[in-house]
Amino acid sequence: MRRLKEIISDLQDFYMLSVRGLLSIFKRPFYFKDAIEQMDYAGAGSFFIIFIVSLFVGMALSLQLSAELSRLGLKIYTGKVVGISVIRELGPVVAALVFTGRVGAGMASELGLMVLGHQVDTLRVFGVDPIKKLVTPRIVSSIIMLPALTIIGDAVSLFGGYYIAVFVSNQSGTLYWSSIREELIFENVFSGAVKPFVFGYLIACICCYMGLSTKGGATGLRQSTTKAVVTSIIMIIISDFILTRILLYVLGFPV
Amino acid sequence: MIVFDKVCFSYGERQIIKDLNFSINFDERVAILGGSGEGKTTILKLIIGLIKPDSGKIIIDGEDITNKTEDHLREVRMKFSLVFQEGALFDSLNVKENVAFCLREYTKMPEDEIDRKVRELLRIVGVEHAMEFMPEQLSGGMHRRVSIARSLAACEPRMFLYDEPTSGLDPVNADNICKLITDLSKSGKGFIVVTHKVVDALKVANRFMFLKDGELVFDGDREKLLHSDIPDIQVFISELNYAGVKDV
Repeated sequence: MRRLKEIISDLQDFYMLSVRGLLSIFKRPFYFKDAIEQMDYAGAGSFFIIFIVSLFVGMALSLQLSAELSRLGLKIYTGKVVGISVIRELGPVVAALVFTGRVGAGMASELGLMVLGHQVDTLRVFGVDPIKKLVTPRIVSSIIMLPALTIIGDAVSLFGGYYIAVFVSNQSGTLYWSSIREELIFENVFSGAVKPFVFGYLIACICCYMGLSTKGGATGLRQSTTKAVVTSIIMIIISDFILTRILLYVLGFPV
Repeated sequence: MIVFDKVCFSYGERQIIKDLNFSINFDERVAILGGSGEGKTTILKLIIGLIKPDSGKIIIDGEDITNKTEDHLREVRMKFSLVFQEGALFDSLNVKENVAFCLREYTKMPEDEIDRKVRELLRIVGVEHAMEFMPEQLSGGMHRRVSIARSLAACEPRMFLYDEPTSGLDPVNADNICKLITDLSKSGKGFIVVTHKVVDALKVANRFMFLKDGELVFDGDREKLLHSDIPDIQVFISELNYAGVKDV
């Protein structure tokens, strides 16, 4: 019974942090400098790792599809399937998972350390709202930078797929790009563009909440960081399924 | 005046503070003594509303703050200046930015004015030379000094609250911090210092409280403390004998 109460109380606190963190974007004072610093850390700092991961995901996907479609005599569809997979599904999810590992873990450990070092209490003593000062800039940076990183990741994955299709599978590059261009329709782009905003918001809220809930020294910090990353990954996968279901229905794709 | 009326507080299953009753005037110089984990820091956090008691009332200046919201507590917190153990400086900001934090947050002071004010505060606490240092470049004593300067910039406090200001410091630095605490109280502003170092407490305070198992077992002046027959206090006092301290 006590455990149940704790879970309900945690969910309530998480809900309050998520809502207040988002609504504080529209309330004074605005912490532009903090948001820019976070965007630099989350965006520019994650560029290289997103680039590498997306490149190899695109290459591996193209390799697998080329091999399988060759057996069926459908190799010309490699570009089409790579395009749909990357733009609608893999691009946003891969970018979000990488973002969680790098930025989310950083958020949780940084805030956790601030809690343990009484820096968050100091903010409260000075009358500064820790949610507005610490959480809102992280939410802003995540919902701006994750979509940007996803677009870059998508492009890099498609280039990776192109390299394999043309130089390993000996397909026509023109055909590869034209089949991808065919897939750049509103429904596909919209489907892939909505997800990173939701993922970014979820990652920032979960990781900030876990960080600010840190208790008990180094072990507590390890636990809160681990919980932040694991919970974010699970929530990304679950919300991806829910969003896909909703988007397919809304955009009129037959299932 | 700060009044604790039958205040109880627990962390989970563990009761930290039990039925605590006391009152402290803003101009008093109080030391709260006790072993580790006896709830000394908890008292400071309760005074400033960082945590709420399980039961009982905390009255500051005649106003019950027990159920006040964060927005309303800001006014109460402005009456105090709390210096945490280890300083709690923001590690992403340098010394100047740390001290200027509240000036930038709440005033529209021009940069040259902020610069002048920060210099003045750092001069008072004796670390003017460290203005551009990052917190990790500071020694323990400098950390506390900068933290005190930052809290002075935050407001015009009526009372200072110090959480273990000398713990982990060598005797010279600890003595300097004690002198700074005494100097800052010369203008008539009182303080509550939480410590387990009786030598330092005797240097700065004239009223002493002793906590044992979350209860207030002693509240009196220096003479009463030194001649107390409470065994735990005698153990603390024996520190003076080991140190060969006859008169502090």
